[in-house]
Amino acid sequence: CIRTVTQPASLFMRVGTAPICAYGQAGCHVPSLADLFDRVIQQSSRMHGISSDLHSEFEQYFLPSKNLIGKRKCHTYGILTPDDKENAQRLGREQLTEVILRLLGAWGDPLSQLYRSMSQDQNQDFNHYSSNKALEISDMVHELRDGVSKMADKMKLLGVLGNTVGYISPEGLVPSSAISFYKRGELNSMDHHDLLYCFRRDSNKVKNYLRILKCTTLPGLDC
Amino acid sequence: MTVCTRMRGHLGLALLLLLSAAVESNSMSPPGKPVLLGCRSPEKETFTCWWEPGSDGGLKTTHRLFYERERLEGKHECPDYRSAGRNSCFFDRDHTSIWVDYHLTVVASNELGNTTSDIFKMDVMEIVKPNTPENVTLLVMKREDNLYLHVRWEPPYNTDTKSGWVTIKYELRVKQEKSNEWKEYTSGTETHINLYNINPGTLYAVQVRCRLDHGSWSEWSNSTSVNTPDYPHNEKLFWILVSMLSAVPFITAMCILVMKRKNVKQYLLPPVPGPKIRGVDVQLLKRGRSEDVINALIINQSFPPMVAWKDQIEEYLIVSDDGLLLDPSSSQKRKKSLIIPAGFHLDLGIQCKEPTPVQRDLQKAEERKNEMDNFVKANTSLTEGNLSDMEPPQPPTQKQLFPIASFVKTTDQSPSKHNSAAENTVKPLANCGYVDIQRHENAKEVDVIEVDYSRVKEVSGDNILILQRGNIPGYMDIQRQKENIPEDYSRVKEVDGDNKVLLQRQNASTDSSCREKGNHYTDCTNQKLRNPHVTGPSKVGVCTELIGSGYVDTIPAPPLM
Repeated sequence: CIRTVTQPASLFMRVGTAPICAYGQAGCHVPSLADLFDRVIQQSSRMHGISSDLHSEFEQYFLPSKNLIGKRKCHTYGILTPDDKENAQRLGREQLTEVILRLLGAWGDPLSQLYRSMSQDQNQDFNHYSSNKALEISDMVHELRDGVSKMADKMKLLGVLGNTVGYISPEGLVPSSAISFYKRGELNSMDHHDLLYCFRRDSNKVKNYLRILKCTTLPGLDC
Repeated sequence: MTVCTRMRGHLGLALLLLLSAAVESNSMSPPGKPVLLGCRSPEKETFTCWWEPGSDGGLKTTHRLFYERERLEGKHECPDYRSAGRNSCFFDRDHTSIWVDYHLTVVASNELGNTTSDIFKMDVMEIVKPNTPENVTLLVMKREDNLYLHVRWEPPYNTDTKSGWVTIKYELRVKQEKSNEWKEYTSGTETHINLYNINPGTLYAVQVRCRLDHGSWSEWSNSTSVNTPDYPHNEKLFWILVSMLSAVPFITAMCILVMKRKNVKQYLLPPVPGPKIRGVDVQLLKRGRSEDVINALIINQSFPPMVAWKDQIEEYLIVSDDGLLLDPSSSQKRKKSLIIPAGFHLDLGIQCKEPTPVQRDLQKAEERKNEMDNFVKANTSLTEGNLSDMEPPQPPTQKQLFPIASFVKTTDQSPSKHNSAAENTVKPLANCGYVDIQRHENAKEVDVIEVDYSRVKEVSGDNILILQRGNIPGYMDIQRQKENIPEDYSRVKEVDGDNKVLLQRQNASTDSSCREKGNHYTDCTNQKLRNPHVTGPSKVGVCTELIGSGYVDTIPAPPLM
């Protein structure tokens, strides 16, 4: 059965999802596109909130990171993203969807590594709660990616989305080991901080793009 | 030499000091270091930065802002120094990019030099703070007698909340005029709200603010106020009047109740009626005279009046049977509780009465051979007091009166002889409790029924014994003897034990056998010459078993006649 995008409230565990019938079997509740949009937007908003919290926790322990204006900071720099409203609106739904999926795909592995590294960190200045948050966002990223895929499929079904959006494999976009962009070898706290800085930004992008996508696709009360 | 150099040194120093003073009075210097205060984006599309200039060094100083941006090559200068006021830089949409780092610096320069501020790093994503909501209006509405406040506002100026680029959230707070505490409510994306828990007659003030995404909250809008209407005054007055009017009768009622406490008490808690006994006067009881009490308690009022039984003391018990009369001079005690003459009717609790002559006859007719001590104990003692020929010094206990507990009624079975007299004279006896049985002077041939319990045929009621008439074997009828029967217990020959008295028969006409009968008596039929002191009976029959703890009065009764 088709896995659904779980509600943000149940994000601490991978919920055994109630099957949503793609084939419209009797007795099944088929969510509408608006429902799907709401779910993914909620989840992305929550994901961004948690990553912001985590980052600010790190921030108090570290001096502001070195000025690396010229240097590329985040491993997703290769993904071209619209950096203002007009550009995002001009991009079009298909490309926007693709950008979203790329971003989400690029962060799956690094976040898992981040969690592993944080939980193994012996001289933890942070409490156990922080590593739980890292686990949470790590899970969320995967779920969100699946959810957006489903939503894209639905949009294609409805004819709202063109077929140019294909399945994007994360490996194709970023180096095989994204983490190695940041540091070779073991990550330390400073690396955690950098990672979180980048992820906070990217999660914000995802949230914004999804909203734009929704309001261009289904303009309504919430926009 | 040294003195000269020293002097030159001092001079140089003084000159230098003079020069510096001159220079300072002119105050021309490179500018002081400016400080970047901060930046702010109201809608996540543009942003503005402000700085604080340092000292200008006395010369005309200009400030310029330069920035470097991620993904943008080179150093750029602020596009707009004017729009946002002095010492500010406004970045319009074309120059604003989100999710990229800006590094800003301000350079202050004058003729004498430049001074650069510290680098200020920022990302537009982080500096979002919207404008305050606009046109906050406050209205008092009424629906079905419920007052509520309707608050309405508009989104902040120049903010695009429709495209989804930002998600706005509102918050408002309310305050009553008297208190200093604000109560906060969240509105979400709605631009209006209804507040229901408000009080009439108060001034309410309201303020609204908003936030974009997870950014900073805006400033509170200007306070808007409204007055809620008061309760109509006539309502209050009405209720005051009503309460006052209802208080008046209430107070009156209370006064009446208090004044008539007793009546109320009687009505609510009626006294419980005391017991009433017919013929009994409660007051009499209260006064406590025993005789009256006893009188009062007598149910059957038909009893003859009580006769002073003082006279009775003179009387003594005479038992006559078969000619054997008691020798009054005998000092034998005879305990007699009750002799039951034939036909003698003894009423219980009746006043003692002097027996009539007929009664006396009756009593005499009750000759007994044997004195039986029966149940009534009291009377005997009376009679004993009369036995003058008995030993005088008797313990006073002999004079005990045993109340007649019952009476005996004998039925006559052979009506011919004696009973006629007996039947005729049925008179109630005094309740003082003794039976006065006297020897009949005229020894008549009376077939006296031996009144003993052996002949009890039937007990009717509490105190009636019905005796059998007739000759029972083993018994000797008490027949009147012609002899003088001494009226005393002189016939008692011997006291045996507590309740056995051996009687002496005077005229041994027939031998009779004493027979023990029942519990209380036996027949003693031993005729023997009377001997006042029974020492050893010549013929002594088995004697009576006396009832109870009777005693035998040994004081010889004075002769009656």
